[in-house]
This record gives sequence, C-alpha cells and structure tokens, in this order.
Amino acid sequence: MLNYFKTIYKVGKSLIQGMLVTWKSFWQPSITVQFPDEKLITPERFRGALTFDKETCTACNLCVKACPTACISLEPAVDPATKKRIAKVSWYQIDFGKCNYCRLCEEACPTKPIKSVRHTHQYEWGMLERKEMFVKWERMSPSTEPSTSGSTNMKPI
Amino acid sequence: MILPVWNESQKRSALILFGIASAGAGISIAIGEIGARFSKIWQCLSSFALKNSIPTALLTTLSMIIQCSILIGFISGAVMFMVWWERKVSAHMQNRLGPMFTGGWHGWAQTIADAIKLLLKEDIIPAEAKPWVHRLAPIVAFVPAFLCYAALPFGEGLISADLDIGILYIFAISGLSVLGIVMAGWGSGNKYSLLGGLRSAAQSVSYEIPRVLSVVPILMMVGSLKLTSIANVQTGFWRLAGIPLLPRWFIFYPIVGQIAFLIFLISSVAETNRTPFDIAEAESELVAGFHTEYSGMKFSFFFLAEYAYVFLSSGLTTVLFLGGGSGPVLPSWSWFLLKSFAVVFLFLWFRWTFPRLRVDRLMEFTWKFLLPWSFINILITGFILLF
Repeated sequence: MLNYFKTIYKVGKSLIQGMLVTWKSFWQPSITVQFPDEKLITPERFRGALTFDKETCTACNLCVKACPTACISLEPAVDPATKKRIAKVSWYQIDFGKCNYCRLCEEACPTKPIKSVRHTHQYEWGMLERKEMFVKWERMSPSTEPSTSGSTNMKPI
Repeated sequence: MILPVWNESQKRSALILFGIASAGAGISIAIGEIGARFSKIWQCLSSFALKNSIPTALLTTLSMIIQCSILIGFISGAVMFMVWWERKVSAHMQNRLGPMFTGGWHGWAQTIADAIKLLLKEDIIPAEAKPWVHRLAPIVAFVPAFLCYAALPFGEGLISADLDIGILYIFAISGLSVLGIVMAGWGSGNKYSLLGGLRSAAQSVSYEIPRVLSVVPILMMVGSLKLTSIANVQTGFWRLAGIPLLPRWFIFYPIVGQIAFLIFLISSVAETNRTPFDIAEAESELVAGFHTEYSGMKFSFFFLAEYAYVFLSSGLTTVLFLGGGSGPVLPSWSWFLLKSFAVVFLFLWFRWTFPRLRVDRLMEFTWKFLLPWSFINILITGFILLF
C-alpha cells in the first residue's frame, strides 16, 4: 500500500520535472537564424569562394602547382613591344566545379602584403550551369566574376 | 528559473504581444457582454416580426441558421488559431521559431495558407477502400464535435441550447465521433488505418468512463446537469475574515476538486487522441493511424474535428472547474476564452513534453488507476456532503 503511494508520488514528481524542462526552454531565446534576413558571422579562417587580384599577380604558377585538383589555369602576359613575358597575368581561371576550397593556393601565393589569390567569406553562391563554374579574370577586360553582394545584417553566434 | 536574455527583436515582440493583449482587453471591455446585446437584437427582431405579422417559425429558423453559422465560424477560427499556436508553442519548447514568414508578423497567416492548400489538394480514394464508408467517415467524425458546441456556454447568455442535461448531452454526443474514426480505419482498406481505428475505439471507450465519473462529484455538489447553473455556482470568492482568498472555482474545493480536475484533464487528453495518448495515430508505429489514406479536404476535416475537440474539452474544463465566465473587469465571454485557451496551452504543453504510452500500459492506466480513483473521489464527495 505504501509502495503504491510512493509510485504515484514518484510518477507525479517526474511528470512535473519533465514539464518544467519544456517550460524553461519555452522562455529561452530561440537559436534559429532566419537565414536570408539575418546571417551568422563566419569564422575568421573561413574558406569561402576564391577571389583573385589580377593587378598584383606575378604569374609565378605556384598556385597552379599547389592546387591538388588542378582547377587553376593561367597565362602570363606578354609585353607587346618586346614580345617577352612579363610578371603580370594575361588571364587567370578557376574552375569552381573542381575547387575543394583547401587554401593551398593561397598558402603558395608569394605576393605581399595581400595574397593575389585568396579565400573570401562569401558562401552564398549558386550556379545554374556548369560553364558558370569557370570564373575567368582577364587583365585587359572586365572579369567574369559574378557580382556577389557582401553579407549584411550579420547576427553574432 | 533561468532568466531569459532577450535581444532587441525579442523585446519588440514582447512589446507587440503586450500591445495585442491590452488592445484585446480594451476591445472586449468596449464590446461588453455579447449575450445581452444578442438578446436585445432578438427582442427588436421579434417585435418587428410581430408588427409585420412575419411567422415566428421563420424567425426561429433564421436565428438557428445564424447561430449555426456563428458556431461554425468560431470553430474554424479557433482551430486555425490553435494550429498556429501549437506550431509556435512546440517550436519555442524546442528552441526553434516555428512559422515566421507567411503574413509578416510571426507567420500569423500560415494556417490560412495551409487551409487553402488543403482545399485545393487532390482527393484520393484508394482502390482497396470502401468508397462510401471512406467518404462518410470525416463527416461522422466532425459533426458530433460541432453538435457538442451547441450546449457549451461561452459566457453569460452565450449558449445556443441551454439544455437541462447539458453535460450528459456533451458526453453522449462526443462519444459518437469514435464511430467516425472506426469507419475511417475500416473503410480505408489499409492495415495501419484499421489498427489505428481499433486502438482508438478501445482507448476512447475506456477513457470515457473515468471522464464521466470524474464529473460526478461536481454534479453531486451542484445538484444539476445544466452547464450554466454549474458555471453560476462558481462565481464569487471564498473569504477568510472578509478578505477574498480564492475564487469559488471547483478546482479549489479541497481534495475532491483537484482529483476530479486531474482525472478529467488526463482523460480529456486521451479522448482527443493527443500525444501522450495518441496511440490511434502514432506516427512512428502506424504511419498516421486512421487518417493515413486521407488527403485534402477529408484530412482537414479530421484535423478540424481533433482541434474542435481540444477546444471543447478546454471549454468544458473551464465551465466545470475554472468557474466558466466568472472574473473581474473583463466581460464573461473573454474570461471564458482566456481560461479555455490557458487549458489549451496545457494540452499543448503535455503534447510536447511527454512521450507516447504503450498500448497495454494505456489501458492499465485507465482501468486500474483512473477508474478506482474516480470512484474513491465520488465516495469522498459523498462523505463531505453527508457531514
């Protein structure tokens, strides 16, 4: 008989404990991020889409050699007067279909103080066709890099 | 309790909620007692009919149609609100946000969009189904829920049919919707549906007994089956040396009230097939139980019936245990709605806290625990009334 009431007490107590748990989390702020309206700040060493600075690049080919998936290709510029290769790039292309965002190209890049090829914090990037994945920068003409709007209205984690 | 850390948008939401609450209170005070206004309109209309020799039969028919429309409108509105509210409450209990997009402010129009979607969806009758049973089942499930609302007092003078046997009528009619669920289970031609329907039949029939018996102490105390008189008995306060201590609600009657309230609440949750007792539609075991084979409008009728029963149970709990529409300042109908939705919140809280019971334990719980205790409760009430 005593055990019967003990069981009732125990069950009732644990039911109320369970309800208190949900009650507490009911009043806690939600951790959901409303994505298009608010965005999380990416970590400092986040590897987003690659960007390229066609003016500082010396066409040294180190990034092409460093790339494990061989997605980078470039052609050095030629001085039209002397017909000799100069330390500038003519065009530079990254195949983002192959790129695995490993940062090895950025580590290999020798330009200072800012690397010519480097990762940005840009991660909102969708492509509809395979040919859009080939992003080409040409020194003498505007590049094909899509105009990516900067992440605004970021919400701290 | 952990104090919440609120950021700007949450503070704004809290302010908006406070604004909505105060605006609602202001509007309901401005509207005043709806029941009195309705009876004034009725008097005007009947005197007008007398002057112009319009037959009273026409007038009463018209008033019945209007009452039915008001009830249907109220049920669908309340159900839409409750679905949205359930999604919000469940989301916040899991630290999510729930619907946030449709309609702008916190996804308030989500259920309207969902209802339109359900209306437009294809109506599928499976090849194995018995077409007429399959077609009739949602109607049989919903109509009793609607019929029950006729005898539910929404406040002073706000009752379609003030029956002398109001509570008996509600229990009797709400028992009928089990038939709809069994029909859905059998008519779908699906093993999961059949299992769900059978389980639901067993569960509803078993939980009906402690549910009715838990109300018997109230009936003994009040001496009436009329819901309005039960509600009227609970107005006023218990005073200790002139200071109002507790409202005279039945839940505050010592021992008897609390036991009856707990038994009634638990068996109401079981009657409405909601989560701690949702073996009839157990998602993880039976796909969706009796409404596995239903789509579109028919499915939405089952949904409507479930939520209509949730509000009906909350309203009954309010009338029987929480004093109906009694309360200061605000008119009686807004007190009734406030208390009812507080009980609805309790239903949602149970649903998102407790795991599902096993079938045999469910049966054991009602027959070996709730039923004896409701008998003991009646016994205690008898002793109290005797001395």
